[in-house]
Amino acid sequence: MASRSMSRSLGNDFYRLTGKRGGIRKSLCLDAPLLLSLFCLAVYGLMVLFSASGENITDVERQAAAIVVAFIVMIGVAQFEVDFFRRGAPLMYAGGIGVLIIVLLFGSEVNGATAWLDLPGLPSFQPSELEKFLVPMMLAWYMSSRSLPPRFRDLLVCGLIIMLPAMLILMQNDTGTALMVAMSGVFAILLAGISWRIVIFCATLVIMASPAWYIFLAQAHQKNRILTFFDPYRDPTGAGYNIIQSQIAIGSGGLQGKGWLNGAQSQLDFIPESNTDFILAVLAEEFGLLGVLILIGLYVAVLARGFYIALTAQDTFSRLLAGSIILTFFFYAFVNMAMVSGLMPVVGLPLPLVSKGGTSIVTLLIGFGILMSIHTHKRVLPR
Amino acid sequence: MAEKFKLNDHERETLIFNGRMIVAGVFIFLLISCLIAWMVYLQVYRYDYFAARSDGNRLHSQYVPPNRGLIYDRNGVLLADNRPIFNLTVVRETAQNLDVSLDLLRSVIDLSDDDIDQYRTRQSRRAVPHTSVPLRYQLTEEEIANIAVNQHLLPGIAVEAQLVRHYPFNESSAHAIGYVSEINKDEMTAMSVETAANYRGTHQIGKTGIEKTYEDLLHGQVGYETVEKNNRGQVMRVLDRTDPIPGRDIVLHMDAKLQMAAERALGDRRGAVVAIDPATGGVLAMVSKPGYDPNLFVTGISRAQLAELNRSGHTPLFNRAVASRVPGSTIKPFIGLAGLYNETITPETEIYDPGYYRLQGRTRPYYDWTWWVDKSGHGAIDLRRAIYQSCNTYFYQLAVNLGIEKIHDYLVTFGFGTNAAIDIPEASAGIVPSEKWKMENRGEIWYSGETPYEGIGNGIFQATTLQMAAAAAAIANHGVLKQPRMLRGTIGSDGEVTDVIFPDNAAQKQLLPSQEQIEIVRNAMVDVVNKPYDSEHRRHEGSAYPVLRESGHPLEYPMGGKSGTAQVVQFQVDSAGNRDNGEVDEQFRTHAMFIAFDASEKSRIAVAVFVENGGGGGSVAFPVAREVLDAYLVPETETYPELSVVAENDH
Repeated sequence: MASRSMSRSLGNDFYRLTGKRGGIRKSLCLDAPLLLSLFCLAVYGLMVLFSASGENITDVERQAAAIVVAFIVMIGVAQFEVDFFRRGAPLMYAGGIGVLIIVLLFGSEVNGATAWLDLPGLPSFQPSELEKFLVPMMLAWYMSSRSLPPRFRDLLVCGLIIMLPAMLILMQNDTGTALMVAMSGVFAILLAGISWRIVIFCATLVIMASPAWYIFLAQAHQKNRILTFFDPYRDPTGAGYNIIQSQIAIGSGGLQGKGWLNGAQSQLDFIPESNTDFILAVLAEEFGLLGVLILIGLYVAVLARGFYIALTAQDTFSRLLAGSIILTFFFYAFVNMAMVSGLMPVVGLPLPLVSKGGTSIVTLLIGFGILMSIHTHKRVLPR
Repeated sequence: MAEKFKLNDHERETLIFNGRMIVAGVFIFLLISCLIAWMVYLQVYRYDYFAARSDGNRLHSQYVPPNRGLIYDRNGVLLADNRPIFNLTVVRETAQNLDVSLDLLRSVIDLSDDDIDQYRTRQSRRAVPHTSVPLRYQLTEEEIANIAVNQHLLPGIAVEAQLVRHYPFNESSAHAIGYVSEINKDEMTAMSVETAANYRGTHQIGKTGIEKTYEDLLHGQVGYETVEKNNRGQVMRVLDRTDPIPGRDIVLHMDAKLQMAAERALGDRRGAVVAIDPATGGVLAMVSKPGYDPNLFVTGISRAQLAELNRSGHTPLFNRAVASRVPGSTIKPFIGLAGLYNETITPETEIYDPGYYRLQGRTRPYYDWTWWVDKSGHGAIDLRRAIYQSCNTYFYQLAVNLGIEKIHDYLVTFGFGTNAAIDIPEASAGIVPSEKWKMENRGEIWYSGETPYEGIGNGIFQATTLQMAAAAAAIANHGVLKQPRMLRGTIGSDGEVTDVIFPDNAAQKQLLPSQEQIEIVRNAMVDVVNKPYDSEHRRHEGSAYPVLRESGHPLEYPMGGKSGTAQVVQFQVDSAGNRDNGEVDEQFRTHAMFIAFDASEKSRIAVAVFVENGGGGGSVAFPVAREVLDAYLVPETETYPELSVVAENDH
């Protein structure tokens, strides 16, 4: 509901802010290297998804449709001036919080998390994903309006800005997303030049507090995931099953893989969640180490372009926003790959642009749309 | 001023930001390096391990049981075939929560505690992991549908088709053919390593009869296949297969029509009929009543069914055809032959029968049956009349004159006292007594007072119905004994029957008197059935003739025979020599016996009939024997409506 009204107001603002009435075709405000890398990732992802979904063409078509929509949305977002995001940040942030509250009240439950909003006439949609760039945007707005590095009092405000959506998402029982949203905010603060002393202090605090969290606060399934991470074979047919089978799939892929549609682990349903969170296992089994390196290579290409955009951005707001979006993107990809390969405890996170799921792709590409906007809407500065 | 301040600030902010981005870049580089190193470790360094684990997930070896060989009768009628049934099976490793699944199954199909107990026994015996174990056999179509509907709630549980033994003749050939049933623990431990490997895919094994005797021939050689299974245990494809070698199809000497006729002839009486082809020794029919349905055992008989079978107390599982008992007067022709061979008598030797016999110097009388009628005897009587009149006195005296040792030595040559049958291992050997035998088995010396009873088959001597039929066949065959046998031949892959040649045991060649003298005994047996009343002489008719005449149907072929009545308990005889002829309990009534044969020059069939507690051999057992011979020798006597059913079953 909120997103619809938002896009309508965006549409009205479009001509006013860009001032390029009728000039869309002439200058699309796109960044070719980023677009190309993202396109390759999406195509690679579709290929893997086709295999992971058991050659289910309907799944692939739906995913392809989501990708097309996401690219269109990204191109649309790229047309806005950076000023639009700067000025709109508080409003969008407030809107995002509002939607999260609505989800808590009226959302529908999938896999134990009340994170989904079913709107009539629209595909079901996960508003918490939007926070991935709404939180950095709000923080960038707040911190760029003050001088960097942020002072202690500013940090408390920043903490509040992060905590508010994170707590709401946590209440939806979606720990993974809550963690990622918090991290996207943390990235913004880190990039803003927070004192290393505070960083080290906080990190030490987290490490010291984690045993207490484990003993007093952690829920049974969370403890289980951590125990399973250290020893998957303590319950090989239950909690450890996913990670054992996923490692078997990855390891048995070898250097060159078993070939597209030929992964025994994938095709014979030994990998659970093979088309969502664990899709990397399918990719690694069928395309081998080479396939994994290609995937990492594509991510690094996106990452490198994002770094370049962030470093060449013109003002603090743009830099902080671009920097935290690209770091969040990397973090997503890394956490998923580390978790599926057994380097980290299992957290329910999709592999960006590859896993099945429309919301994740659309929100990711909105983020990249913002990056493109930052890169293409520079004011001509006197040198 | 403000502009300038801002600008300174801006530069500083750029520196801070760029510094932080560099730190982030270093971190990212380290993390990606870690990830790539980890991937290389998993996919290159530990590739062999994980590849083996992956194959272990999906590849499963399974055994393919061979199809059991079929059993045909001499005319190509199927006596045992294989039929597909649908079984409910469990793969324990895949069934996550079996108790929950079993509860659900109980609500959708008929699944008793007994079934579950039997399943657990099978599960505990199973040697190969990840193989399916039957939970219940023979699902109905409705049950299959009910399971299919709930399949997603029943991991590891499947409906599998299996070929199992089926006996189209149900009861009528149960004892001869036997049955297959589940391999039990003892059979499993008794197997050699190679045999056990060959039975990996097999659930059933021959338990009795032909199925047991020719288990090696019928079973075949197990096959193997490597299959790819998915996470739910479904076979996705077969990667490698060694086909099983099916068991050999075999042909028996048995004649299914005759078997059914013999069963019908016995009716509801307990007893046995064995028919033998004298020329070959082939068993044409072997019936034991009461029978049972062998199909009940194939997939495991339930306790309730077994209790129902045993309810009568008449031991239907017991094969009466191969159990030994005193033969009564049916032994007389063979005692006669012993006398002729040992030259104790000649065909012309006559004795005087006053109605009883007394050992020299003793007072105790051994009565003839005539004594119980009118306290008289046969008068002067020779061997031929002694046989057809079944004179006891003659054979009391002959037995005494021969002595027990000569009787023993002669009778064993007819296959008595050993199991002479080539391929009926469960047959009893019977007893041919001698002084040595008695000392060894009873710890007593032989008393001369026992010898007369051996002459009339009411002493210690015991023979099976099978042995009596084989002995009768030897007489029908003019003195040449063929050892009884069931198997006629095997069918090759080309469909041609190859006859098996069993070497006859040379040690068991009969000791024969002259050909002429054999014919005297053979003809005397023809007289038993055919010699009519002599108006001038009393007691010159065949002992079975009155029954034949009463039946109103004259014989359409020459027939020889001998009746016998075996005492179950000693008759009570008072001091005046009167026998208590009052009614006795059914279980104490005499057994009725009859041996008979086709008395043509080239005899085609010999039969032995035993009717348990049936009464008199002539009146009860003879009509049964005649019906069997009629069925075999007079083709158009009867039509067999059941046979049309059989023809339909004949694949």
